[in-house]
Amino acid sequence: MSSAPARPYGSRAAALLMLMLPVALYLLVFVYPLSSVVTLSVDNSALSGRFDNLSALGPDATPDGEAAALLADLGTMEKKQLGEVARMLNQQRSGFRSLIMSTGKEAEAIAPTMAGLVAFDARWAEPGYWAIIRENAAPITWKHYQRALGITLAEDGSLASGEDLYLRVMGRTLVITLQVTILTLLVGYPLAYAAAHGSAGVSTFVLAVVLLSFWTSILVRTTAWVVLLQTNGLVNTVLVGLGLVAEPVQLIFNRFGALLAMTHVLLPFAILPMLNVMRTIPASQADASRSLGAGPVETFLRVYFPQTLRGVAVGGGTVFILSLGFYVTPALTGGPEDQMLAWFIADFVNKTLNWGMAAALSVLLLAMVAVLVALAGLARWATARRKVEAA
Amino acid sequence: MRHTRSMTISALAIICAAGPAIARDFTIAAWGGNYQDAQRAAYFEPFAAAQGLTLLETTYLGGLAELKAMGDTGNVTWDLVMMGGTDAQLACDEGLLEEIDWEALGGGGELLPEAVQECAVGNVVIGNGFAYNASAFPEAPKDWADFFDLEKFPGKRGMTNNPTMNLEYALMADGVPPAEVYAVLSTPEGVDRAFAKLDTIKAELQLWEAGSQPVEWLVAGNVGLSTAYNGRIISAKKEGKPLEFVWNNHVYNMDVWAIPKDSPFKEQSVEFLKIANDAAAQVKFSERMPYGPTNTGATAMMPPDVVANLPMGDNIATALAYSDAFWIENYDALKERWSSWIVQ
Repeated sequence: MSSAPARPYGSRAAALLMLMLPVALYLLVFVYPLSSVVTLSVDNSALSGRFDNLSALGPDATPDGEAAALLADLGTMEKKQLGEVARMLNQQRSGFRSLIMSTGKEAEAIAPTMAGLVAFDARWAEPGYWAIIRENAAPITWKHYQRALGITLAEDGSLASGEDLYLRVMGRTLVITLQVTILTLLVGYPLAYAAAHGSAGVSTFVLAVVLLSFWTSILVRTTAWVVLLQTNGLVNTVLVGLGLVAEPVQLIFNRFGALLAMTHVLLPFAILPMLNVMRTIPASQADASRSLGAGPVETFLRVYFPQTLRGVAVGGGTVFILSLGFYVTPALTGGPEDQMLAWFIADFVNKTLNWGMAAALSVLLLAMVAVLVALAGLARWATARRKVEAA
Repeated sequence: MRHTRSMTISALAIICAAGPAIARDFTIAAWGGNYQDAQRAAYFEPFAAAQGLTLLETTYLGGLAELKAMGDTGNVTWDLVMMGGTDAQLACDEGLLEEIDWEALGGGGELLPEAVQECAVGNVVIGNGFAYNASAFPEAPKDWADFFDLEKFPGKRGMTNNPTMNLEYALMADGVPPAEVYAVLSTPEGVDRAFAKLDTIKAELQLWEAGSQPVEWLVAGNVGLSTAYNGRIISAKKEGKPLEFVWNNHVYNMDVWAIPKDSPFKEQSVEFLKIANDAAAQVKFSERMPYGPTNTGATAMMPPDVVANLPMGDNIATALAYSDAFWIENYDALKERWSSWIVQ
């Protein structure tokens, strides 16, 4: 400690490296799961690796050769592997499970010919089952993306449209997310303004309310809305009591309830960045604008508002990204038509162990964000260019 | 691809190794709530006392994700888990559960035949039907046709966001006798018929996730009628809520005990299962939580007012036994059809 460092630059480099370590660690922690999710969405090795004999066959294999190879593959599987293979194949066709399980258990007793297989279970005569097995002999698969995007491959390899369930859910997720973003900005902007420029009392009150709800658990806030808005809840009791409505109104378990609860939950994320930006705008600017003859509306629109756009963009962007991944709040306050994509991802992960499908949907959600961010960037670049040209 | 997986596993292994190396306590995962409270009184406490061990409890929410993670990483954190019969069969096929040593349990002759499974011990019989708030309608709804009758019984309809049981209910409402439900549902026309029936209440559908929601919704008047577990409704009724459960054509299924693969407490788990299979202990459970026993000797030991609230005896005269086999085979495809129908 007492002696001066012999190589000051060396120790500085070491210090720099030490400082960079958290960044590297952060990148690893961020990039690694992301890449494994992408991998998971196309990885089919858990299935293709189980059919070595079948995938070794050439395109000119006879049906008997295929039958023998299939039985050899099924016969070498452990019970656990058989169960996994059966589960994954059943995700593509109902009934595949029992076919694989029963054939696998008896693999050694079945005559290794197509006739033998069909005699054991007539379903093996259907080409559909064989097509699915062949499709899964490749270690890379696009089946999850095909299912997610509603594309089916016809027998001749041409594209056809299939069940578009996930596309519809994705579209709806985007619509709900945009609605929530716009609502939080519309409600948040005046509140942030009040907190930034109001009297000390108003400012403290607004901030306290915002922060208090920020620190309350999402689940608690969501449940509170259920209690308030339900058929015989507080709001309906008041409405009916005042004679404003004759019958209780359906305020929750529909899109209205979902939007209201999500907007409330996400409001702090919109208010805080806008508030930060608004606080940096000196009041003297407004005075200057007024003294130069602009009315309050013009002052707001031409002097104040453009300067707050940075905060609006950060707040809106944060709310947008956060609400894309929401599922507890819409599940508890929305109707059947308001479940978002994240709900389906969670269901695939937890309930059906279809991690490939969950990964494909996650990647698509990510791609959706990337496209929107790119579009926003493009719009900014275009405006900046126009300004340069105008100047 | 395999490289990624082995990296994941080694990363997890490092994390696990970094944790405390001391042996953990015996851990039971079950469904939580009143259900687990009743199990604690009837099974957990006598077991912990007899074995002289500390018992940890945790909550399991269905699905195979936790068991799969335990199997893949080798870090087995549960020693017993209470699961639905379908999940137990799936987990068994994938080698995620220990096989049950029925010899050590005395053969299981005292249990219902369906309770004796390869990797699981059936322990609880659950009634799945629908319930109503007695103060809401002048005339009581009595069958599934009433559940689907929006004119006679106006109001929202609570259901789970799942095809399981709901398709069975729809077919029974459409006049299919319980004995033929699965035969009809095995045909594409039968599935269409079930969805056509569900279409008639689609506009009024309100989906529940947790078993406590139907109770809250019925009490608050958010829904007119809701599907529900008999246990939740009857427990609420005992607390003075004006709810009634409709036994007619209900669907009963079984919850089972299973031992996660490579649990370090296998011997103790066998001792636990002996207690769980005991008729007197099952009576004790059913008195606290109105679900049925799997020990056939338990029925005779129960007072009639307890039996009246359980999925057994007269209550299951018109009931349908839930088919784990049907749903194991058809869940994926029907779930997608269901989701697609919901999203429309």
